[in-house]
Amino acid sequence: MKFGLKAALAALAISASATAAMADYPERPITMIIPYGPGGATDISARTIAEALGEAVGSPVIMVNRAGAGGATGSVAVQNAKPDGYTMLFARVGSHTVNPAMKATLPYTLADFRFVGVYEINPVACAVKADSDIKTIDDLIAKVKAGGVSYSSSGVGSLLHIAAAYVLKEFGIADPVKDAIHIPLKGGGAAATAVLNDTATFICTNSSALASFVANKQLKPLLVTTAEPIVGFDAPTSADLGKPALTQLVGWTGIAGPDDLPDDIAAKWGAWMKTATDDADFRQKMESRGSVIRLMQPAESQAFIEGQYAVFRKLVDDLGMRIEN
Amino acid sequence: MSLMDSFAAGLALVWSLESLLALVGGVLVGVIAGAIPGMSATMAVALTLPFTFAMTPITGILLLVGVYKGGIFGGSIPAILIKTPGTPASSATVLDGYPMAEKGQAGRALGMALWASCTADLISNLALILFAGWLASFALSFGPPEFFTLILFSLTIIAGVSGDSLLKGLISAIMGLLLATVGLDLVYGTNRFNFNDPNLMGGLNFIAVLIGLFAIPEILTMVWNPKGQEGQARGLGGGWVTWLDYRRCFKTIVRGSLIGVVLGSIPGIGAAPAAFLSYSEARRKSKNRDNFGKGEIEGVAASESGNNGVAGATLIPLLALGVPGDVITAIIIGAFMVHGLQPGPMMFVANADIIYGLFLGLIISSIALFFIGTVAIRGFRFVADIPKALLFPVVLVLCVYGVFAVNNNIFDIGVMFAMGWVGFMMLRFGVPAAPFLIAFILGPLLEDNFRQSMLMSGGSPEILFRGPITWFFWGLTVLTVVAIARAGLRVRSKLLEEKRT
Amino acid sequence: MSKQSFLCVGGAALAGAAFLMLAGIPYGVSSPSNVRNIVLSPLFWPYVLAGILAFGGAGLVLTAFRLPPGARDERLSDVPGGWARLGAIAVIMLAYVMTISTLGMVWTSIVAIVAVAFLMQAKRPLLTAVVAVAAPLLLYAFFAHVAGVGVPQGELVRLP
Repeated sequence: MKFGLKAALAALAISASATAAMADYPERPITMIIPYGPGGATDISARTIAEALGEAVGSPVIMVNRAGAGGATGSVAVQNAKPDGYTMLFARVGSHTVNPAMKATLPYTLADFRFVGVYEINPVACAVKADSDIKTIDDLIAKVKAGGVSYSSSGVGSLLHIAAAYVLKEFGIADPVKDAIHIPLKGGGAAATAVLNDTATFICTNSSALASFVANKQLKPLLVTTAEPIVGFDAPTSADLGKPALTQLVGWTGIAGPDDLPDDIAAKWGAWMKTATDDADFRQKMESRGSVIRLMQPAESQAFIEGQYAVFRKLVDDLGMRIEN
Repeated sequence: MSLMDSFAAGLALVWSLESLLALVGGVLVGVIAGAIPGMSATMAVALTLPFTFAMTPITGILLLVGVYKGGIFGGSIPAILIKTPGTPASSATVLDGYPMAEKGQAGRALGMALWASCTADLISNLALILFAGWLASFALSFGPPEFFTLILFSLTIIAGVSGDSLLKGLISAIMGLLLATVGLDLVYGTNRFNFNDPNLMGGLNFIAVLIGLFAIPEILTMVWNPKGQEGQARGLGGGWVTWLDYRRCFKTIVRGSLIGVVLGSIPGIGAAPAAFLSYSEARRKSKNRDNFGKGEIEGVAASESGNNGVAGATLIPLLALGVPGDVITAIIIGAFMVHGLQPGPMMFVANADIIYGLFLGLIISSIALFFIGTVAIRGFRFVADIPKALLFPVVLVLCVYGVFAVNNNIFDIGVMFAMGWVGFMMLRFGVPAAPFLIAFILGPLLEDNFRQSMLMSGGSPEILFRGPITWFFWGLTVLTVVAIARAGLRVRSKLLEEKRT
Repeated sequence: MSKQSFLCVGGAALAGAAFLMLAGIPYGVSSPSNVRNIVLSPLFWPYVLAGILAFGGAGLVLTAFRLPPGARDERLSDVPGGWARLGAIAVIMLAYVMTISTLGMVWTSIVAIVAVAFLMQAKRPLLTAVVAVAAPLLLYAFFAHVAGVGVPQGELVRLP
């Protein structure tokens, strides 16, 4: 045991005067909550940036998975935490834009958090099974109009759930909720498998989740939502299709604290995330998995997330997808 | 490239000090992590992942696979010694492993667990190497309707672990199914029995329920009657599994391994149902049927071969389709991706050396597991010798740490304690705990797949009878239910006869 | 196989099923108004389960009446001081869970081991004390430093 009386006394003294020394932040390890389980996209992204962040922060960062309810369980833990900057959250598109837009009973709103930065953008792609007779997005739309088309998602309130509805709406399906069947599964891997085994017709999700299936010619991409093409995806972009509104349909990962997080702590995080995202090793690892590194400073992050929320909220209200109880 | 060339290229990759060390180290880490309740194999693999980033692809993947295999076996150690399954997969091992430890045969039970694990592991690896392509296409024919019928059939296991009364087993199972409904609704996202509490929205933590149901009632029983627990022979008793034991259980082990291989190759089932199914099949076929649940070594062999049979087979959908079968293989896919490898059919062409290197590494890992497991069992020997009045308080604290570690939530500790009281009352009134647990695992799968099927078909039940696989499982289910009913009638007529005489 | 245990379990199951059908499901499970098909409703499965629970409970009660009065069930017989000790451990568990976040997991665990060992009438007090201190500290060292778990530290004394 490395534990001595001296250390205990020192710790006691420190915790007694914790309020006095905000300038010394951080003077003990920072706990960062990942609101999804180990091995998921958020978890891997978070643990990758944690390495780079640890160096920038200068004190250890403890990564904590608290999964459940599409990210709600972990988010609530940070919402209720002390705003001392020692409990921070990895916020994700599902937990902080889709879920708040869809669920009236969610125990938190966007206003309960202060975002200190978004560091990663995940483009979205839609795909069907490789041997499907659907070759283009127009084929898909025609088929939806004929009826019997379904799409898979990783659960109610996930990005996948709303992305498919959003794409169908953009291409002129008036009521995607009625005309296409949503089949929720447990997790992103299961959602992709559902398209492979003909349980669902198509899937719209982060391109990184589809990359290996596309490379192996098991799935065929129909479109990507970014304006620029994505490496490995031989499919029209939103620009090619003349649907600029689709570019708003992206996944992201960011870091947030409770809403009353002080300004100087938020500023420190902005600087740390700059150092972390400039790290060449970090960039290489993230980009090899298909995500786009794009750092937004605290104010920009806040605006970006609120903008996304507004887009999704409008869609949810238009389509009557909101869950009231 | 011919098959021999591929193997030669694979061997060149694996036969390096670095790779072998990674394998052995991985198995060692896995066994230790698996032996700590709450530190599941999943967590151990997730924690090891960052270390693999800096390694060569094959070394990193072998390390993760080693941790995975070690973790699945390691879970059986606390299951047998302190009635606390280290991983969900080893909960079936508790049923006979702990009674054996109570009888002073912990060494024999642990030995059998190891031998069964290694055998199943080997069979599973061979299945992966020989039948990967075939099993993978079979797995892809499993949609929600097929899943539903498979799970329905698996629920008939409950009859086999109900003990004295089938009705009590049924009630126990229903309680498990009801508890599993807590959380958010799958299709509509609405609240179910969660009172809008964020801690309940994600459903009850599986490990907390598991440990609460098995380990805490033992502690409460000890508190209830400290004197009654004394004077029992514990300790490893110097006993070790014999060649004769192994030969007697060999058929069971092979059967369990095959069940594990088939269930493992289908994405989304996992090791725990395989262990239970193997256990129930072994019981049905065994001459010592009445001794199951009371410390039958064949029961330990069945459950451990079932869950280890899954380990190699989950790599089948991963390598052949690029589909993760469970959370652990999802993490391993992450490791592939970091190194720019994309698992799937193309990998057999583009990176054949890595695939065959992995195959050879898997075979070596079975052997490594055998030696490391033997050493680990000797290392844990002392646990069986500790007096219960000292061991149990420490077990309580160990469970608290472990359950907290799963999801970093103090609420889960409360769930564990509450389930402990439920388990204690069940013990007092002779309601078996195993059906509860099986139902808690399988219940959500049953309901979700049923509703997904209904979504697919627009509410028509015909979809539940599509294709030969559904008919096969419907047939098995009917046969099993008839067999259970007939056995029940036989017992009743015997009772009536006794009354008359 | 005692009559008493069958009656108790059967009765409890019937009561539970009645509660679920009358109060638990209507108030505990919410369902959207636009459910297309009754089998897809979030209420469907809980009602099915409550029905089977009632069936099982009725079956147990019926079986109980057909069983001979028989001997007392050993599992249900009382032990001197048993209920008092169970009450005590219930209090310990409650206090344990409630104080972890303020006092820290290591310190509450030390107290818990001592208290539970006392209830179990452990023989060697000195050994117990040593174990009570060493075990939580070792577990802390492992979980916090090897497994990277954020073990709750409490607000009084922080460990490195």
